Parts: sequence; C-alpha cells; structure tokens
Amino acid sequence: MFLKELTELSGVSGCEYEVRNYIKKKLEEIGCSYDIDKLGNVIAHNKGKKSKTIMVAAHMDEVGLIVTHIDGDGFIRFQAVGGIDPRVLNSKQVLVGDKKIPGVIGSKAVHLMSDDERGKTIPVEKLYIDIGSNSKAETEKLVSIGDYVVFVSDYVEFGDSLIKAKALDDRAGCSAILELLSMKLDADFYGVFTVMEEVGCRGAITASYALEPDLGIVIEGTVCADMPGIEEHSKSTIIGGGAALSIMDNSTVYDIDIVRSTAKIAEDNNITYQFRKSSAGGNDAGAIHKTKDGSKVMAISVPCRYIHSAVNVASKNDYNSVVNLTKAVILANQKGE
Amino acid sequence: MIKEFLFDVCSNQIVSGFEHANGSILTKYFEHYTDSFERDKLGSYIFKSEGTNDKKIMLAAHIDEIGLMVTKVLDVGFLSFTSVGGINPASLVSQEVTVYGKENVFGVIGIKPPHVTTEDERNKPLKLKDLYIDTGYAKEKLEKMVRVGDVATIKRKPLQLQGTVVSAKAFDDRACVAVMLETAKELKKLSHKSSIYYTATAQEETGYRGSTTASYMVNPDIGIILDVGFGMTPDMPAETAHLGKGPVVAYGGRLNQKLTKKFVEVCKTYNFPMQYEAIPSRTGTDTEALQVNREGIPCILLSIPLRYMHTSVETIDIADVENTGRAVARFINELDNSDLEEILCF
Amino acid sequence: MNFNSELMKKLSDCFSPSGREKNIREIITEEIKDYVDEIKVDPLGNLIARKKGNGKKILFSAHMDQIGLIITHVDEKGFLRFSNVGGIHAKEIIGLSMVFDNGFQGVVCCEELKYNEKLTMSKLFIDVASTDPEFVKKNFHIGDMCVFKSEYYETPDCTVCRAADDRIGCYIQIEAIKSHPVTENDVYYVFSVQEEVGTRGAKTAGYSVNPDLAVALDVTATGDSLDGIKMDVKLGGGAAIKLMDKSMITHLDVKNLLTNLAEENNIKYQYEVLEFGGTDAGPIHMTREGIPSGVISIPTRNLHSAAEIINKNDVLECIKLLKVTAASK
Repeated sequence: MFLKELTELSGVSGCEYEVRNYIKKKLEEIGCSYDIDKLGNVIAHNKGKKSKTIMVAAHMDEVGLIVTHIDGDGFIRFQAVGGIDPRVLNSKQVLVGDKKIPGVIGSKAVHLMSDDERGKTIPVEKLYIDIGSNSKAETEKLVSIGDYVVFVSDYVEFGDSLIKAKALDDRAGCSAILELLSMKLDADFYGVFTVMEEVGCRGAITASYALEPDLGIVIEGTVCADMPGIEEHSKSTIIGGGAALSIMDNSTVYDIDIVRSTAKIAEDNNITYQFRKSSAGGNDAGAIHKTKDGSKVMAISVPCRYIHSAVNVASKNDYNSVVNLTKAVILANQKGE
Repeated sequence: MIKEFLFDVCSNQIVSGFEHANGSILTKYFEHYTDSFERDKLGSYIFKSEGTNDKKIMLAAHIDEIGLMVTKVLDVGFLSFTSVGGINPASLVSQEVTVYGKENVFGVIGIKPPHVTTEDERNKPLKLKDLYIDTGYAKEKLEKMVRVGDVATIKRKPLQLQGTVVSAKAFDDRACVAVMLETAKELKKLSHKSSIYYTATAQEETGYRGSTTASYMVNPDIGIILDVGFGMTPDMPAETAHLGKGPVVAYGGRLNQKLTKKFVEVCKTYNFPMQYEAIPSRTGTDTEALQVNREGIPCILLSIPLRYMHTSVETIDIADVENTGRAVARFINELDNSDLEEILCF
Repeated sequence: MNFNSELMKKLSDCFSPSGREKNIREIITEEIKDYVDEIKVDPLGNLIARKKGNGKKILFSAHMDQIGLIITHVDEKGFLRFSNVGGIHAKEIIGLSMVFDNGFQGVVCCEELKYNEKLTMSKLFIDVASTDPEFVKKNFHIGDMCVFKSEYYETPDCTVCRAADDRIGCYIQIEAIKSHPVTENDVYYVFSVQEEVGTRGAKTAGYSVNPDLAVALDVTATGDSLDGIKMDVKLGGGAAIKLMDKSMITHLDVKNLLTNLAEENNIKYQYEVLEFGGTDAGPIHMTREGIPSGVISIPTRNLHSAAEIINKNDVLECIKLLKVTAASK
C-alpha cells in the first residue's frame, strides 16, 4: 500500500509532477516498463497472457485551488480547481505553490457577521489566503498568479481500520494500480495513471486513444454519504461495504452484463462488494468508453467519505477489496488464446 | 521563548470548564518569574509575584478556549455535539478533531460531497445539529472510550507564516497569557513594588466566570485586562486594528479613563507602538466581571489584534505580544513610582 | 420509598409564580419544620433550612417559583393584556385556561393576525368570561399574576402536572429532609425564589450560605420524545447528572463525586448536556471565590407547559442520589 506517501504529495489537476515522479520511481523499483504521453499520463505495461487489451486507470490529480490574484494588502485570492463545496474551505491550513508557502483560509469573525451574512455560505470569490505577509510586494516575492494550492492534511489511521487523508480520490486508485503492477501477474494489462480527471477527464481521453483498450477498468475513490441523517437510498456507498461497482453515473451507463459478471467474480473469490447507488458524479470511464470505436468499461471504487475536501475518509478493508477484485477481474479476462 | 510557549500551550486542550486538565504547562513557564501559585475554585490559575508595598495589580488573560462537547453517542461511530462557547459551525466543516474521552479519540467532521448536494444546500451554512464527529468505531467500542459530556477540540498544529506572523487555534486568548509571561519576564529586570497577580482566568468564553471568582479572591487595586481583538482583513471595517502595530488601547465606560491615559503616556514615552479603539459599553472581555467585582476595580483593557477569531486558524503577530508585554511591565514600573491614589481619584 | 403522590399534588396545585412564592413557602415550611434544626427566610424570600453538622458545608437548592403571566392592562369589557413571567411563548398558550390566586380564571385568546403578521404576546389577551364591568374591576388588577390551570394526573409510572419545574425538586428535598441521613456534614436545603426570571434567589442564598459544595435539583429536557430536542437524556433513565448548560459547566470534581456516588450505591443515572437553559447552580458556582457546583436533574418532557411529564422512578433515584451526596465525605 502506497497510500501514505501518495496522499501526502501535491498534485492539483494540471500540476501532477510530484505524483508522477513518485510513480515513475516506484515503477523503476518494481521493474515495470512505462511511457509518458504528451499530456503527462504515465502508461505502465504489465506483460503476460493476453486475450484482449485491458487498460486499468486511476487519476493522479486531486482537487485544489489556484491563485488568481494578489490584493493590495498581500492577501491571495483564488478559484477552485475541480468541484469543491465552498463550505469546506473555511478555517483551513494550505500550502501555496511549488515553494509550499504556508497559509490559512480564514473568514470574518462570526461576532461581526450580520444575520444575513450568517445565513449565507461565503462564496469562493470572497475567500482569501493569508500567508502572514504585510504587503502585495512581500506576497509577490513568494507567490505568483497560477500557483496551485493544496490542503494541509496528513495521513492518519483511526477507528476500526479507517484512514483519513486528502486526495484519497484518487491516490487510492494510483496505489491500487501500483500494487497490481508489483504483483507481476501473468496477465497482460496497462496500468494508466491519468492527469486532469477532476477538470474533465482530459488525460483519459488521450491515453485510451493511444491504447485502444477492449476493456477499461477505472479504479476510483468514490462518493460515500453514509452519515447520520441521510436516508438509506441516498448514501451512494457505505464505508466498510467493500469494493463499489458503478452502475451508472453522469458520464457512463455501465454494461449491466459486465457489472453482474464482476459481482459474480467477487462472490466466487469471497471479496466484499457493493453497488454504487447513485448516478451522480463521473470518472475516467466516461472518456475511455467513448474513444474511437468505443470499449467496454467498468468502475471499481473505494468508498470515500467527505470526498473533495481536506479530510477524505476510507476503509483499508474496502481498499483491499478493490485491489483483490481488480486482480480477479484481470485474471478472469486474460486466460490467453 | 514566547513562540515556544504559544505553540506548546496551543497544542493542548484547555476547553472552558476543563482548565484543570493541562494547567501544568502554565506552571512550567510562569514559575521562573513568580513567587507563588494558587487556584480559584473555578479553575483560574493565579501566579503571584510579591511586591514591597500593599498595592495589588491583577493582570487577567483567559486560558480557556472554545470547544465541542459530546451530547450523544450515535450508531456506527458518530457523535453528535454542541459547542462550549461561541463557535461558527461553518468553521467546523471538514476538520479533524480530537475527542478527549477515556482516551484520546481521533475524529473527522465531514459533510456530504458536492456530487450529491444541491446548489441550495451549498449556499446554506450548516448548523451545529447538522454536523457529526466521525470516529470510525463501532458504537459498542466507542461507548467504552467516549461518554456524553466529554469535550473535543479541532486538531490543529500551530503554523509559522511569514515573518513573525503565526497561526493556531486558541490564540484567543493564549496570545495574552503569553503577554503576561513577557511582562513577568520583563518585570524581573525592571523590579516592581506592587504585588502582581498574573491570572490565567477560566471560563471566559462561557461568560467571564473565572474572572468573577478570581478577582473576588485577589481583590486587586487595579486590573489590566488582556484579550484579543479583531485584526484587519479584506472583509473587515476600515477602523479595524492591524497586525504588527501594537496593542489596541480601549477607551470607554468599562475602563478607567485616567489609568488608560497613563498607559498611553508610558507607551509614548518609551516608544511602544499602539493603536486605539472606542468601546461604548460591553467589551466582551473579562473587564465585564472585574469592573464590578466587590467594591469595583478600575481597569484598563489592551487587545492583541487577531485575525479569524474563534476558528482554528487564528492568526497573530508575535511582535505585538512581545511589545505589549514589555509596555505593560514598563507601565507597572511607572505606576509604582507615581501616586496611584492620585491617578484613581476622580 | 414510594412516590408520595399526595405531597406532589399539593405542591403542584399550589399557586406561586416568580416573586409571589408566599403560598408555596408556607406549605413547605409546614412540611419540614419538624425535621430541621434551623429554618429562615432571607430578604428575597428564599426558604433556607439547615441540618446542622461540623463537617463539609453543602447547599442543596430547588426553586419554589413557577412560570406564569402578569397582567399589564385591564379593560372594562373583561379583556386583560399581559406579559410573561419566565419562559412562556405566545404560540404555545392560545386557548389555554389560566387561573389566578383568587381562584378566578381566564382563557388566552388571540387577535386576528394580518397577513404575514408575527404572533407576539401583544397580540394575545385573556378573556375572563364576564359581561359585568363591576365583576371585572373588582377581581382583576394590573400586577395580578396567573398560572396554567391544570389537573394533576398519574399513570402507573409517570406523573403529569404543571410546575413539575421545579416543585419536583422541592418534593425531592422535602423527602430527603424527612429521611435525612446520619452525617457530620452541615447541610443547607434552600427553597429558592425567582429562578424562572433569572435565578435571582439562588444568587443571594449562595452568597449568604457560602458552602463548600452546591447541588441544585431541577428539571431538564429529554431527547426521547418527538419534539426534536437532540440529547441523550431519557424519561425513566434515572437521575440525570448535569455536565453543562448555558449557566454552568459542572466542576469536574463534582461530576466525579456524583458519578462515583451513583455507581457505588447502584443508583440509576445518566449524563446530561443541555444546550439551553440554566439552573440555580449558575449563579451559585460563581459566588465569591467560586463554589464547586453540580445539578441533579429530573428528566421532564413537555417542559414549561401546563402538563409536564416526569417519571416517578427517576424521582426516587434523584432522592437517593441527593441523600448520599448529603452524607458524602
């Protein structure tokens, strides 16, 4: 499991180099060949028995912020990169740019807010990052427009085999693919680490164009809303419920035969699984299955509470189920000619 | 040393009503500069530095911080909670917390992801009753570690920003406990005739409770109240004080005018930076309790500018803490050499 | 010990809103005078009874007053305008009958509200059911107070009555006094006044007694009904040990003392965190240099209404807890 190292790296969509460098290093340690395409996707190849071309994809990028303006007093204005609820930004520590300048996102003291202000979420445009600078000039020495910003959030194990980190969406997938590659299975597949999923699945479009897969398997950190006060049918997935199989989301209607056969594989191998009970969200599968003449896709995900915030929560058991199920699916599909 | 003290004391929890828990941190730092130590019955810490005359000066800065309290242990590892002191629920979303139960339990306060929320939901700030602490433990296991009434705080490491600017939870009002420490250190060099009571008051955030009982106990001739005030950010009104420009001296009905002017005069003489504010009535500080304790206590109020009050990213400039500490020491030294009766006479 | 329904009915039926505690003070004095060493009434009207001893000085406090309405205007047609005494909300009292100290009654009615108009106390009035201006003039005056009209009722396990807040606290103290444990402690039982309008009586009683430990007996809300209150306290869950409300955070030593006493003596208890309200312990714990204080709460549904619901067994557990506290080291 490479989750601790992977989640502590910065890699906001369009700036994935730290994650890419780490993955390259690991692939070299494993002894797995790889290419890097023109968008920055890492495409690793596990050679083995082959009946079809399988592409297993996970995205390297995470949601974050990007600096848009430095104001007169040296405060930094920003926009969200990827879908971020402005409510999760209040009172957070962040790191700005390649130099990782520490800063905080504060807000007006609640004591001074009018009733009207208290009744509304502060929109992203009104928020700012404070790095403790006294002036625009001082900030400009350290920060430039276009710098990416990540949350400060370490990897923590807690509760009954849970983990808390940032960017589990989708470093969980990256870690799973690295594990699969290190197993040296006698089954052919491409492990693809894509860029820019959070801003429109850009990397998956070009990677699948190059590979022309027959089967695409996307490994995701996915929506989970199993908190108190949420109705059973709205929970999407459950932490501890096992690998989540997608049926439909905003970008893909999954082939029901493939979904059912994957469930069968899980049952045959005693792997816990659940169906992802929501049609919201989307992932690289949406891009992959529509490339060229099209392909079959599936999405196997790690349920992730509080996704797209600084404090993603996932279960190690679910993660292991995802790794095991993906492995079983690859083996079942590559029996050789 | 001030930064070390601040980072140390702010890494610990001292939620209102739970001042008993981690007070030894204070003793560790204050015992070098003071002669004796006692507590009032609500949990305030009173460090005394003996003087040579019968005058008593009480410095008050509150040691308690706002926090959360468990109201119910729910199924599947979640806890519902209420606040201890005033917290903006918006500042609790997607934070890590430590629950101080039988053992310390890590938890997360998260919300539904944007994928499954509506625009309307996102535009509406959450209320305390909509939030839960997620501990990841099964209920049976959790109940053995956490009970109703246990407190929790946001888990937050102090952060060094640019220059002397730092950010942490609970700088309200430990920044001012640090001011007292600086004053104590400085008075060791300057000497003083009055007895000085450095009081880290309990339960300010829930209604100036510790300062009520501590000031009754000390029964001082004058009170110097140290608290944090609002620091300038882009969304604040124009008159807001700036970080790095010294303490904010308050004028208004809760404060003794002549004593306040004396402080200003001393700052001017010794070139200490300062800023001013006018507070017509309620100050929202321990002054509320001290001013009317027993037969009344003449008070001055100094505030350290602080950004993002009552959040886990409260931000101050350590230079303000040091300057205020030194200015207060100089003020006490000057008071000892002037006629206090004369100053306090109307 | 069994639940003494007759005594509780007598306490609940007694008319004594805040500031007018004379009736209830007389009833309680009559009940306890033969069982205590000292009894006095302080300048605010608190009844302070003492069981002498040379040990720890302990103060128990339950308030005698109840919520009600005060008449601010009387017109000759027999319509009365009023203001609330303690926590009563306009929307909760329309249609209720109120009763005065002289036994006459009135019913709370509401003016016609214009579109979008907010319901406030000033829109309500009491109709005293008379077409005779002389009757109205003679029997209803500005400054008169009235309280909910309510009939005492019991089921096998519960009691329904007005002013359980806090006559049940008074009841518990009376029962404890009558079976006061053998102890060295110097125990003061305070029956306080004017709690409902700002815990005023307890403030002066706390100052004059100046005890080492104070414990208030008062009601608390529960989270087991459908009224939407989120808390862990249940009717029938035993004595509630308060940990926090708006007026106090319970001193840790007191929390531990009460918890240990309950556990050692097999007294059924539960912890309580109340997000609103306060008790006599609020002003008492801030008295002088501070007084370590706590509250033993009686779980109560439908608080501040004409029909508050309590569980008899919870009450018996509270009495046990009070008695072991009175005898504690």
